[in-house]
Amino acid sequence: MESDSDVFGLAKYGLKLIEQNAHELKCAEIFFEKNKYISIDIEENSVKNSETGEDNGVSVRVINKKGALGFAFSNKLEKKTVNELCNTALKMMNVSTPDPDFYDLPGSYQNYPIVKGLFDKNLKVLQLEDSMSYVNILIDVCEQDELAISQSGSFITNYTKTNIFNSNGLEVSGKDTSCSLSSHIIVKDKVSKETSDGYEWQSERTIKRLKAFDVAKTALEEAKRNLNRKKIKSMKVPIILSPKGTVQLIMRPIASAINGESFQYKRTFLVDKRDEIIGSKYLNIEDNGLIDGAVGSAIFDGEGVPCKNKKIFEKGKFLKTGLLHNSYTAGKEGVESTGNAYRSSYNSIPSIGATNFIMSNGDITIKEMIKDVKEGILFDYTGDTPNISTGDFSGLILHGNLIINGEVKEPLNETMIGINLLDLFKNIKALSKEFKNYGAFQAPYVRVEDVQIIGGEN
Amino acid sequence: MDFKDDLKDIDDKLIKELNSISRDKIEYWDVRTGVSRGATLDFTDLKSKEISSHYITECGIRAFINGGWGFCVLKDLNRKAIITGFQKAIKLARLSESLCKNKFKIVPRDPLIKEFKARAREKLEDVDIEEKINLVKNHEKIASEYSSKVKNTHTLYSDGHANSLLINSFNNHIFQDLSFLRLFSLVYTQDNGIIQRAINSVGGIGGFEIIKTEKAENLSKKSAKEAVDLLNAKSPIGGKFTIITDPKLTGTMIHEAFGHAVEADMVLNNESILKGNIGKKVASEKVNIIDNPTMGQGKIYNLPYELFGCYFVDDEGIPSQKTTIIENGILKSYLHNLETSSRMDTLPNGHGRSSSFSSRPQVRMGFTFIEPGDWSIEEIIQDTKNGILCEDFQYGYTNPSTGNFQFKCKFSYKIENGEKKELMRDVSLSGMILEVLNKISAIGKEVDYSDGMCGKGGQSVRVCDGGPYIRIEDITVGGLN
Repeated sequence: MESDSDVFGLAKYGLKLIEQNAHELKCAEIFFEKNKYISIDIEENSVKNSETGEDNGVSVRVINKKGALGFAFSNKLEKKTVNELCNTALKMMNVSTPDPDFYDLPGSYQNYPIVKGLFDKNLKVLQLEDSMSYVNILIDVCEQDELAISQSGSFITNYTKTNIFNSNGLEVSGKDTSCSLSSHIIVKDKVSKETSDGYEWQSERTIKRLKAFDVAKTALEEAKRNLNRKKIKSMKVPIILSPKGTVQLIMRPIASAINGESFQYKRTFLVDKRDEIIGSKYLNIEDNGLIDGAVGSAIFDGEGVPCKNKKIFEKGKFLKTGLLHNSYTAGKEGVESTGNAYRSSYNSIPSIGATNFIMSNGDITIKEMIKDVKEGILFDYTGDTPNISTGDFSGLILHGNLIINGEVKEPLNETMIGINLLDLFKNIKALSKEFKNYGAFQAPYVRVEDVQIIGGEN
Repeated sequence: MDFKDDLKDIDDKLIKELNSISRDKIEYWDVRTGVSRGATLDFTDLKSKEISSHYITECGIRAFINGGWGFCVLKDLNRKAIITGFQKAIKLARLSESLCKNKFKIVPRDPLIKEFKARAREKLEDVDIEEKINLVKNHEKIASEYSSKVKNTHTLYSDGHANSLLINSFNNHIFQDLSFLRLFSLVYTQDNGIIQRAINSVGGIGGFEIIKTEKAENLSKKSAKEAVDLLNAKSPIGGKFTIITDPKLTGTMIHEAFGHAVEADMVLNNESILKGNIGKKVASEKVNIIDNPTMGQGKIYNLPYELFGCYFVDDEGIPSQKTTIIENGILKSYLHNLETSSRMDTLPNGHGRSSSFSSRPQVRMGFTFIEPGDWSIEEIIQDTKNGILCEDFQYGYTNPSTGNFQFKCKFSYKIENGEKKELMRDVSLSGMILEVLNKISAIGKEVDYSDGMCGKGGQSVRVCDGGPYIRIEDITVGGLN
């Protein structure tokens, strides 16, 4: 895919071919994607691997008047392949089952929102040699610390260009960039010889915003805070979720549970809870695709529909309009698409995904929040995910500390937490002023009352 | 379906040219190219959500010099693109080398020149798409008609057929022809406001015969039955318990709680709690753990195809082989790829694996299992005063640097005075790597295995794991109460 004219030519050729060869066609879509990346890996706190790559591809989606769908994709961008893909997709459509719930692909839009800062021209031309300064900062932080014994990490940049064409006259193109840093640091206590680790990452649209020192420093501090762990007894206490924990136990589960598709299939614990107050007044969440320069922002979604800003939870109330839709689930419900069609690549039909998912922060500092806890747990993160269909969560705390008399104390070994998310939402009692961004999630520290902790000590 | 056409540019002339470009510049290189075609059928509630077909070509080029790696990923398999990509990979390797602190060499291996072809009794491309659709539809029908409590069914069929070529600076020339198939069934049930789900899958290397076994034919019925049964299960009470794990869960536990920590890249990066433990006792002396991803094991389990996690050679051209990890409780060996074996002065054992031709090989498990003992399951249950019998898993995870692990069971039964009692759901088990294998108090004699995908460093590879029923004392069980 060297230039737009090639893509336009191929799309026109494909759409025409489909219209000529299809029986009872309702609509068709051709999606092109061009991606380039560079990546540098750190292992054993040293540069280990440098990598560049590209992935260009095309997919064809066709739907007939009965709603039967056919799909085909390839990474070969030749006229011959597009011809084969169109015919294969039609063949698939012809043997596919009818779906009366299918409404239509999006039509063309007059206006698209203006979202700035999604493309960094510095990133598009960035060479690997220039990227090494970021990596070297990560390495230095680990090297200069006495307890740090190793680090693995990465620096990755991506440039993506998308073109979407459909038979309803939709024609959009867009380009964006992203870059990310990650640091996983291992520390070892000099006396006890115990090892521990800490993990931190950051992703941004523009390279200037990457803060390599902060990323490595946070990973290092987290690793040290997790040294000399102990097993504790079971108890029921307040917990403070770190922003990472908030993403894991509140935001990701909600983002999955309000996915229009899972919701319509009654696969989530929030089914039947629309328009109800299910959380404390501190639960305020929006899905906003229009924030300048944010990782989750976009002008249009995976089907070419303009992105929007939607409120999902307001003062604990799960809003009636708080679902995320692509054109299929929106059509099934008789509403407009919310611009949440998500495509991980040209190789999949659009699913549904959040844009920037934001939980409102509060007005007390994290220091004050911790000071307020007599006996509790600071929950950093788990390796687990709540069960989205039941809302039950019972998982191992991979990183967490005791809080005693307002101070963060020993880290935990073999300690689990168990709670249903609906109880967790009700028991939110405070939010911190401070918040952090992890990819497209923005989360504060959150205090939750009465959480069952299962300790490994008899 | 003409695969050969896409690989035709990778000929002797190209290899000669790559050797001449690389001479004196780098110490090792490999080029992996592959062409794959396949189909995906995704059904929900008896309707197709996706019927798709793909055609993908990929190429990954690695270059190495003195501790630095360069990797270049291409989608075009033509001579010019490969040569340009090769030069880029060399440049990248030199850049890595200029910055890396750990200098080492890759120890050369004897060349392997061979063609491998996995047998497919019923070739995927000979099966009409309508037949595949009918199969999936039938599974959907069985699941949705199982009970009125079944609210949503999901069946995913995917198959693929790939031809690949691996060439490297050891003069390897390995051609492989493999096809695989996986059928996945997910059923949601609802009753009195409670939603439950059950997932089952069957996968293998071979052709359409994979979904004609009894196990595959009963797949969606099994999911439906499990999801209905789980509606009446109780939530567990947290605390310390004696547990008995079934073969599937035993496999997951060995994989999660132990397997990741014996991957030598984790050991070298100081991320494994098992660093420096070779030759030491890490488990009760009854315990023997093996990783054996060699082909030909399907017949042991009466299956007409190869097991999902098995392979002829790894993605660096090292033949798959049986590796003893723990013998009578003593840690014998880590799992290695070319790099880790070169650096730790031992032989590679065929665990350099990648998720695709465009990803770098990492150290990964294949088919990991614990060897059987002499208890029957009835004896183990009768011998257990109070405990939990845990069957099948949902998922598991571990932190190899602290040794903390957890896995979540699908079904669990209370055991009281040697008798199996009520069903519980979502029981999660947690423990410490170095403690748990010492707490094994009984090992069963019947073995089984399960297959799945294992993720590490952003890559997913096919794996199998298994073993017998085992009993473990004093395990922390999570619960909501």
